[in-house]
Amino acid sequence: MSLVQRTLPLGRTATVAIVVCVLASSLLAHVLLADLPPTNHVAVWPFTPLANITPPQVRHADRISNGIDQFIQAALEEKDLTPAPAASARTLVRRLYFDLIGLPPSPAEVDAFVNDPDPKAYEKLVDRLLADSRYGERWARFWLDLARYADTAGYEGDPDLPHAWRYRDYVIDAFNQDKPYDQFVIEQIAGDETEEIMGAGDLPSSKPEPIVALTFLRLAPFTEPRGDASRHEMLSEMTSTVSSVFLGLTVGCAQCHNHKYDRIPTRDFYRMKAFFSTVQLERPLPGDGYQIGGPLPAAFYRKGEKEWATKLTEQRNAELGEVRSLVAALEKIEEVGKKSEPKISLTAEQRAQRDKAKARVRLLEQDLKRLQPVAMSLRHSYGPPFEPGVPETRVLIRGEWDKPDEIVEPGFPSLITGHQDPASIRLDPFKRWPTRSRRLALAQWIVSTNNPMTARVMINRLWDWHFGRGLVATPSDFGKLSGGASHPELIDWLARQFTDSKWSIKAMHRLILNSATYRQSSRHRDAKAELADPENVLLWRFRSRRLEAEAVRDAVLAVSGRLNPEQFGLPIFPPLPDGLAEAVKYDESKWATQEGPEGRKRSVYIYQQRTMTMPFMQTFDSVVCDASRDRRQASVTPLQALAMYNGHFANEEATHFAARVRKEAGESSVAQIQLAFKTALGREPAPDESERMQTLMDPSTAGGDPLAPVCRVLLNANEFVYVE
Amino acid sequence: MSSEPFRDSPRSREYGPSRRAFLGRMFNGFGGLALTGLLARDAKGAPSMVDPLAVKAPTFPRKAKNCIMLFMCGGVSQVDSFEYKPKLNEFHGKRIPYIPKIASGELQGRLTFAHQCVGSPFKFHQHGQAGRYVSELFPNLARHVNDLAFIHGIQVDNQNHGPATLHVTTGSPFPGSPSVGSWVQYGLGSANQNLPGYVVIQDPRGAPTNGAAVWSNGYLPAAYQGTFLRPTGTPIVDLTRPAGVTAAQQRQEFDALAWLNRRHLGPGGQDGELEARISAYELAFRMQTAAPELVDLSDETEETQALYGLDDPKTAGFGRQCLLARRLVERGVRHTLLVHGVQIGKDSWDDHGNVKDGMLKHSREVDLPVAGLLADLKRRGLLDETLVVWASEMGRTSFVNGNIGDKVGRDHNGHALCMWMAGGDVKGGATAGATDDFSLCAVDKPIHIRDVHATLLNLLGLDDQNLTYHYAGRIRRLTDIHGEVLKQIMT
Repeated sequence: MSLVQRTLPLGRTATVAIVVCVLASSLLAHVLLADLPPTNHVAVWPFTPLANITPPQVRHADRISNGIDQFIQAALEEKDLTPAPAASARTLVRRLYFDLIGLPPSPAEVDAFVNDPDPKAYEKLVDRLLADSRYGERWARFWLDLARYADTAGYEGDPDLPHAWRYRDYVIDAFNQDKPYDQFVIEQIAGDETEEIMGAGDLPSSKPEPIVALTFLRLAPFTEPRGDASRHEMLSEMTSTVSSVFLGLTVGCAQCHNHKYDRIPTRDFYRMKAFFSTVQLERPLPGDGYQIGGPLPAAFYRKGEKEWATKLTEQRNAELGEVRSLVAALEKIEEVGKKSEPKISLTAEQRAQRDKAKARVRLLEQDLKRLQPVAMSLRHSYGPPFEPGVPETRVLIRGEWDKPDEIVEPGFPSLITGHQDPASIRLDPFKRWPTRSRRLALAQWIVSTNNPMTARVMINRLWDWHFGRGLVATPSDFGKLSGGASHPELIDWLARQFTDSKWSIKAMHRLILNSATYRQSSRHRDAKAELADPENVLLWRFRSRRLEAEAVRDAVLAVSGRLNPEQFGLPIFPPLPDGLAEAVKYDESKWATQEGPEGRKRSVYIYQQRTMTMPFMQTFDSVVCDASRDRRQASVTPLQALAMYNGHFANEEATHFAARVRKEAGESSVAQIQLAFKTALGREPAPDESERMQTLMDPSTAGGDPLAPVCRVLLNANEFVYVE
Repeated sequence: MSSEPFRDSPRSREYGPSRRAFLGRMFNGFGGLALTGLLARDAKGAPSMVDPLAVKAPTFPRKAKNCIMLFMCGGVSQVDSFEYKPKLNEFHGKRIPYIPKIASGELQGRLTFAHQCVGSPFKFHQHGQAGRYVSELFPNLARHVNDLAFIHGIQVDNQNHGPATLHVTTGSPFPGSPSVGSWVQYGLGSANQNLPGYVVIQDPRGAPTNGAAVWSNGYLPAAYQGTFLRPTGTPIVDLTRPAGVTAAQQRQEFDALAWLNRRHLGPGGQDGELEARISAYELAFRMQTAAPELVDLSDETEETQALYGLDDPKTAGFGRQCLLARRLVERGVRHTLLVHGVQIGKDSWDDHGNVKDGMLKHSREVDLPVAGLLADLKRRGLLDETLVVWASEMGRTSFVNGNIGDKVGRDHNGHALCMWMAGGDVKGGATAGATDDFSLCAVDKPIHIRDVHATLLNLLGLDDQNLTYHYAGRIRRLTDIHGEVLKQIMT
């Protein structure tokens, strides 16, 4: 088995491509834009068709739960290594909870699992957590990173995108429903083109869900447009993002020059861009500004969503009426004061009240906009005579919008297909909509059996999210610079399982989680393995890892008992530290701090403001995405320590955590410490730990609640933020 | 052409999930205390451990070790500050007699419409050995022209504030790329162990266009991000202990926490990441003292404070930022970004409506503090080892759209940004580039912002061609695939 040795032959790659980058002369560039010939193209993995692979035989079959283990163990046996023993039930229950729903198990849930005599207890727990609606709230976040999801447009003024949140809810719901991945892909690329045209009448109207899904294509940062240049940038961004997210191909650089390492000629970039050439954005609503663009109708479709929106709209309207009357009353007083002799101006208090009320009006108006049954979607152009037909797509020299070169037809990457023939686009039977079905053709090819990349790439992402490292270490780049795969046959086998299961993501979770590989201990020490494979690429033990920012914040709220479990809905605005909201906001319609339970929903609902990442989240490596992000980092910084120890959020929750524990455990400090450990860490304290924590409970040193210091220390413990 | 275009293999600087990576991660943010111990213990022949913020040798021998970048938010009018264009006053109220041939259609387009040239309302005087013209708005800075090298007619690719600001601060007009300071840190590491190596002080009145994207680490590891420092009060977010917790109590809790964490690590436990987290708490504890000390200016003499204009409310804001920059340089902080101005309104250099009053106000706020910074650095012998860069996102037009009334403004001009540099190996009094008589765009070969970036890196000893990072299938550079060093402004 060829393992990590698939390294790249750097420096030996096409120098032609490099020359192209450097030359400034457009004439020479023109000559050199000639394609790398797709002829004599011998596909190499990962661009080969999916092979039908049987898991390899292994010497020690006792450690095998499913096919995954055979691949992993065969590779270990080749190096004469053995897998780690299984982790304890207590470790596994915590690992599964964080991995699947992003929250810690309660003490009762830990006990229930640890004491479950059923030999299938583990499998049962996997199934139960996969069916839990909190699963979608954790797993959607990974996808939202890929989709460069944000609630603002970025750039100057960073204006609010009032309808982006519906896409976030779409993704959560899609994961929870186990929406088949092929359908998930099609909806996000061509959700407006999937309805069959059966008659000669009007275009069939799309269902709201795929219209919301299309927000995916519109989530790039966007600034005041400058005509054709902006359209070129927008469509190029769609092309690059679709390619890296679904195909694991970084075509972006081919916009200007042939890809230096992979066989992606510039022409292929523009052939792919041609699928997007009929994209039509609605013009912005009056007053919204060009950075926003217009929405499209998309009714609320989830069960109960419409009722929720109606109720909230009524509430907001009622409040808006009240606040407006308050503003009017204060302005009246002001006006009367101005006319009286001597003039009477508003008191400082009245002025503050008026300003606050005015800001509230803007926020309420923004919320009412958010609650409209519309989506930040797009559609294909209607074509002549209403709108432009199918425009020519040209190769642009060095990616410059005003340097057009040859015309290209839409086509799939020759790196995968082996040719540059135009894609066939199936128009409606009446040929009335020549602008339609381009993106659908691309989406259908992406999920077709002719393209092996989609399943490989998604399987690798799932693996990366479960194990903290993909079988290909760069999940959005399967090209030469990725360094290759550690277990290419395993990827292919899993990819086949994925397509055979009708693209069920939950089926893949089940397969991975039920493997013995996943259930290994992370604490296992093996000097030989550490020497042979220090980076644990071969998975001779489980990789412990730090929780992502969202899980850290959610876990703090879970143990304090103050997590607001309400799902879906408008973005939330948790309090920011040290008056930061004032320093970073652009106008009063931003960051409407919610001190109450609204602001304590799960982190996936936090308003994603491109000009500011919440400091607490940022110290734990979350970023508001400007571009598609395939991985999170896990840094260790003193800023984390400051946020978790000094920060208002952590301290307030530590106090609530202490109060909750005292209430549930009674007055005995031993019992309190015991429950605090079980709640935060999922285990009982050892006697020496209990003793040491009691020293912190000296009422003469603790300001306020004597248990609060213990709770604060527990939230700061490595064990709290790392999953083993 | 070499078949090995990159000095480092693209993966050599990458932080994958490796032993090196987790040792790397422990330094993130602030330099590496307690690392020596960890590194020493790692004697298993593992690949060489690299602290991402360890001081790295520059590629070229250069005097400047640190950089202070002064960013003026909104687009400074070059023709009212550092470019003397007498033709403007001659043609005041008339059409500019020619239309330059430039790639972007926008400026050209505007010139074809009815437009009127606007003369500068300010007088220009000659200063320094080279007799350089500087507007009367900068009397203090003008005294330093012998130390300044000017670059004229710099081009950015998009003349909206958002993209142009990103282009100047990150090398790309699109969000998501690392800022200049991140690249500098990546290339040189940090000499300070108790403070961040890259510090940003924004205008106390608000955020610049694009907010934090201006000092983002982009796709570089989080170790290279700019840390937001507030000039007054609590300088770093969450630096103050929780209410009611004394230093002694915090010490007790940190000791208990360290004990708990070591116990969790187990006997003989070796996990760089978990150990790093233990150390991070110790550094955090020390920072609670070091950072407030940094912003406490009480040990600065009255004379020094006056030098920066702290005694005048008009100059005190940016003066404080400038004085802090000097204190940061003294403490070995590698890169300091000072932002003056906010993204919109009267405190932005974006003088569309009234360039006269606007420029009077903005220049008044920065002239004395910047001159003070240069003088103070110089007398302390720090200017030699500090590169000071004056920047903005673009220049402005020499014409107004519509009619000339009492209050005329200037529009954006992405072809005529003017910057200056000082310190290190900058050749004082030198000039690179020139614009036409109406400062519409460069005459001869235009200087692109990427050339300025290449020069900036070079002046810090870094080669923009070799300072690379592999991300998303591409070898990334601050200068992308361009960048030509402006040798004419270097000694």
